[in-house]
Amino acid sequence: MTKMERKIISKAGSFFLNIIPFIFSITCIIPVVWLFYSTLKTSAQFESSIIALPTSFNLENYKYVFKTTPMGLYIWNTSRNTVIILLLVLFFGFVNGYFLSRFRFRFRTVLLGFYVSNLFIPVHALLVPTYILFSFIGLTNRWYSTILPVACMELPVTIFLISSYVSSIPKELEEAAAIDGSSFSRTLFTIILPIVTPVLVTTGIIAFFHCWNEFSYSLILLSKEKLYTISLALTRFKGENRIDYPKMMTAMFISMVPALLLYVLFSKQIIKGMVAGAIKG
Amino acid sequence: MLNNRFQPSKLVMAAYLVPSFLVYFAMLIVPLIMAITFSFFKFSNINNLTFVGLENYKTLFADKYVWISLKNNFFLIVVCMIGQIGIAFILANILNSRLIRFASFHRTVMYFPVTLSAVVVGYIWSMVFDYNYGILAYVLRSLGYKEAVKPWLGQADTVMLFVCIPLIWQYIGFHLVIILSAMTSIDKSIYEMAEIDGATGFRKAVFITFPMIKNTLSVCIMLCISANMKVFDHIIAMTNGGPGFSSSVLAVYTYKKSFSEMNLGYGSALSVGFFVVTSAIIALSRILLSNKKGEIT
Repeated sequence: MTKMERKIISKAGSFFLNIIPFIFSITCIIPVVWLFYSTLKTSAQFESSIIALPTSFNLENYKYVFKTTPMGLYIWNTSRNTVIILLLVLFFGFVNGYFLSRFRFRFRTVLLGFYVSNLFIPVHALLVPTYILFSFIGLTNRWYSTILPVACMELPVTIFLISSYVSSIPKELEEAAAIDGSSFSRTLFTIILPIVTPVLVTTGIIAFFHCWNEFSYSLILLSKEKLYTISLALTRFKGENRIDYPKMMTAMFISMVPALLLYVLFSKQIIKGMVAGAIKG
Repeated sequence: MLNNRFQPSKLVMAAYLVPSFLVYFAMLIVPLIMAITFSFFKFSNINNLTFVGLENYKTLFADKYVWISLKNNFFLIVVCMIGQIGIAFILANILNSRLIRFASFHRTVMYFPVTLSAVVVGYIWSMVFDYNYGILAYVLRSLGYKEAVKPWLGQADTVMLFVCIPLIWQYIGFHLVIILSAMTSIDKSIYEMAEIDGATGFRKAVFITFPMIKNTLSVCIMLCISANMKVFDHIIAMTNGGPGFSSSVLAVYTYKKSFSEMNLGYGSALSVGFFVVTSAIIALSRILLSNKKGEIT
């Protein structure tokens, strides 16, 4: 083999090696790309050729979806619940994480074991009893029905991530603050809180995606249409629009937009945060 | 750990910790206890129940759909483990190669499906697999394989295999990122030495990378097992457990049995069974696979 030949072979090899991830990357986004451009087609165009690109930038489907369904309301329901859950989870995750990492108090092990147990309890085993419980106390079909259960599912991972982050902060910080006369709560919120912001962002990201995509609890606790979250609304919308694919796809695409935008903007932090959460969890 | 001197008073601590503890108790532990309690009752409606003893559990063990669902869970675990972790490992090896350009771009794109909602993923793929207007059917038809087009999600013998595909597709990126981050922590000089000794890419992957990241792969397997025991949204979106109950998994079966027939007593028994099996499998996988758990961050 001459030097030239060897060079060509290694060039060809590296070319093929580069092709594989490209093909795979394309398969990762092609269904979503297909979904998007199909939303711009009429159902007749879609039926005549399902993969042809749209001929014009036609927003009729979007108009139809917003006109015939309270899509805005679904987005509002989902956003409102997501924000409330995020605030609850971050606040209590921070407080619990801080205490569990800093102090050795009497019920520490109990508390820790309690939150760890979440890893072994599948949510779906709780759906039936949660439904019974919420029906007994009349909490089904309220706008806030899903907030507490979903927040509780998110809490443990948040606690663990924050607690391991707090452990890495030098404790001299609080000692100095206490000696200078700062009260406990003041130290907690004016000194510790700013330091843990990075981990709050990470856990916030994880919780955001879970809340935005939450489905199970909404499915069992909400049956009034005006309370639907976006995932739940999709299942109903599918039932009504079985034949009209582009309209169904439009609704699906609308539901994806917030998460999609967030991912495009913060993909690095999102990947890091979600993976850390999954491994610690 | 801070010195006790700096610990706030009991009252202050209670004020911070008790509220979330109580809510957590009410949302997770109380339902669990309720599930166990109500599994001994029969519901005619939500306010009318009679004690039936172990009746529900007898039904459960004799219910062939429970076993089909459990079998489907195991099927998903095995197929997804091979599909997700296997493909992720191969891709990670490729992306870790010096010859690859745009590795971080690929990583970002491949992770993207993980962030999609399971419901949306289920729907997208049920459209891809659609008999009349699906991409797959379109491709097969235009290649001339008309007979190969089947209502894949509508027939009992193919449905499970096609349910796996979206699950694998969605989570390859997830395992890929975990494996890649473990690979970057391997000392580069080990590879260089192996290269001097004439090791090829394949041999490096099998004899160096694989043993070096074994712990990380164990974590992936654990996550894969627990995720596939808990599969629910995807299947509800794609097949709703059908046709019949042929693509049902434990979570789906529990849900459907409980809410479509409002059979809440039996539903509670199914929930308890589901909980016991799932937590046992998750715990077992953790015990077996986590030899040095603290090492992985």
